[in-house]
Amino acid sequence: MKLSKEEVAHLAKLARLDLPDDKLEKMTKDFGAILEYVDRIQKVDVEGVAPFTMPAKSEGWRPDQAFEVDEVTRELIMANFPERAGDLLAAPGVFSARGGSALGGETPKK
Amino acid sequence: MKPLNELTIAEARELLDKGEITSRALTEACLTQIRSLDGALHAFLEVYEKDALEAADRSDERRTQDDGTMGRNPLDGIPVAIKDNMLLQGKPCTAGSKILQGYTAAYDSTAVRKLIESGAVILGRTNMDEFAMGSSTEHSAYGPTKHPRDPERVPGGSSGGSAVAVASNMCLGSLGSDTGGSIRQPASLCGVVGLKPTYGRVSRYGLMAMASSLDQIGPFAKSAEDAATILEVIQGQDANDQTTSDAEPFQHSTFNIQHSSDLKGLKIGLPKQAWKSGGIEDRVREKTEEAVAELAKAGAELVEIDLPYADEALAVYYILMPCEVSANLSRFDGMRYGLRKQGLPLFETYAQSRAEGFGDEVMRRILLGTFALSSGYIDAYYVRAKKVQTLIRQAYEKAFKEVDLIVTPTTPTTAFKLGEKLDDPVAMYLEDVFTVSINVAGVPAISMPCQDDGGMPVGIQLISSWFEEAKLLSVAKILESQLKTKN
Repeated sequence: MKLSKEEVAHLAKLARLDLPDDKLEKMTKDFGAILEYVDRIQKVDVEGVAPFTMPAKSEGWRPDQAFEVDEVTRELIMANFPERAGDLLAAPGVFSARGGSALGGETPKK
Repeated sequence: MKPLNELTIAEARELLDKGEITSRALTEACLTQIRSLDGALHAFLEVYEKDALEAADRSDERRTQDDGTMGRNPLDGIPVAIKDNMLLQGKPCTAGSKILQGYTAAYDSTAVRKLIESGAVILGRTNMDEFAMGSSTEHSAYGPTKHPRDPERVPGGSSGGSAVAVASNMCLGSLGSDTGGSIRQPASLCGVVGLKPTYGRVSRYGLMAMASSLDQIGPFAKSAEDAATILEVIQGQDANDQTTSDAEPFQHSTFNIQHSSDLKGLKIGLPKQAWKSGGIEDRVREKTEEAVAELAKAGAELVEIDLPYADEALAVYYILMPCEVSANLSRFDGMRYGLRKQGLPLFETYAQSRAEGFGDEVMRRILLGTFALSSGYIDAYYVRAKKVQTLIRQAYEKAFKEVDLIVTPTTPTTAFKLGEKLDDPVAMYLEDVFTVSINVAGVPAISMPCQDDGGMPVGIQLISSWFEEAKLLSVAKILESQLKTKN
């Protein structure tokens, strides 16, 4: 099984990886070698064999529970936000063609 | 007395409890060793000097105040290191990646929390291949770790830092994680004990996930006894990790009752797929065959077995693992934490943050997983690999009906040179040819050092059935003493 550079570029788009051309070349080449190796599973007779799944541990679902997060944990979570507005995470608009968040901000200094 | 940092956990425990040494002195000896060697070896990404000494002092205080009612806490005051993919609240944690540079852990991983509650002194976080992807620690975004006996050679990976920290006596034990061999392979290359417990034995809560159905945290140690000590502390069912098991816990106090001095009655299987393999380095073959002979001398019965699908296990692993990786690493998207390229529309924010933050090996595996899960290919790759996984598990089940333990070399080679396998991904993946099927099946396995001639270390791998760490560790302990008396 060999993939073309275009097919690898499509995978990169699916995986949200902006690969420059030289990396795309290398990845395509590496893919050839790797797929050649893993393709040996095509020769295994899997007739009547079920895909492995972990046995279920319980019947059904437990009730939802709400937990309060302590202040230390909460602060640490928010301190990790790449862009913060008070207690809110600032992020690029989903449907916005314009770049950046509504804040037009920079990564806050820690 | 030998330098304190050269003690085993068992030796240190005895001296601490008798009051002959302090945890402070023990910790200082480790910190001194780190200062001497780590500039060259780069096992640690960060050393928690102040926190460690404070923890050591608290441990010493506990022993001073003890009126005899203090319970047995085997790791109290013992300096250990943790791999850079296990969260410790308030400390940076990067999984060896630039995408998490500056990230501070918001909570404790369960395994590390258990170490702390048992009184262990956490010395720092150790270097690793980025997101645990690699067999040499060369894929760390923060520079490679060097082999303690030959700094031009790799220590193995992905838990290279944790292996070197124990091998070079910078600590008395450490934690690593193993998805396809990332504890056992560096243990083998560095000449220390490395245990991957049964899947579900140790909680993965707070371990940055690589392949959630294969990952397991485990100890590096200087002896089988010490590995057993650490396992007992870190194991346990955890409400925060639904994949942990309610199996009977491993008991340190009774693990070597069945085989306390010899291996009479033990049947050991030697898979022909492993032992007849052409790719085993001469030195590895020589030393592992000697170790097998020692098992026989101790009374074990050796049996050649057929372990079908052993030759396909690596291929199955390099399909299933990348699939899970592609899902698990989608959270690194520049939104809530980690690197974010600013000022871009949404798609570009994702795509450029990830491309800038991830190294090539990580991207290679994400792409492989994306491919194997994609429409048109998922049946031929992911689903088929899951079917072969069923066959591999059945093969182990069947084998363990005939034998008590399975033994193979841990790795086909000794430590190779830095840069030697970087251009050929498949050559690097083949390092794990004997270790990956264990993760695919979920069984426990340990790598024991089996040479002491001053040359490059060699590891032998003992594998037991699910949740039989007691059998595994008791045999490992006997092998260890056999090898000591042989030399």
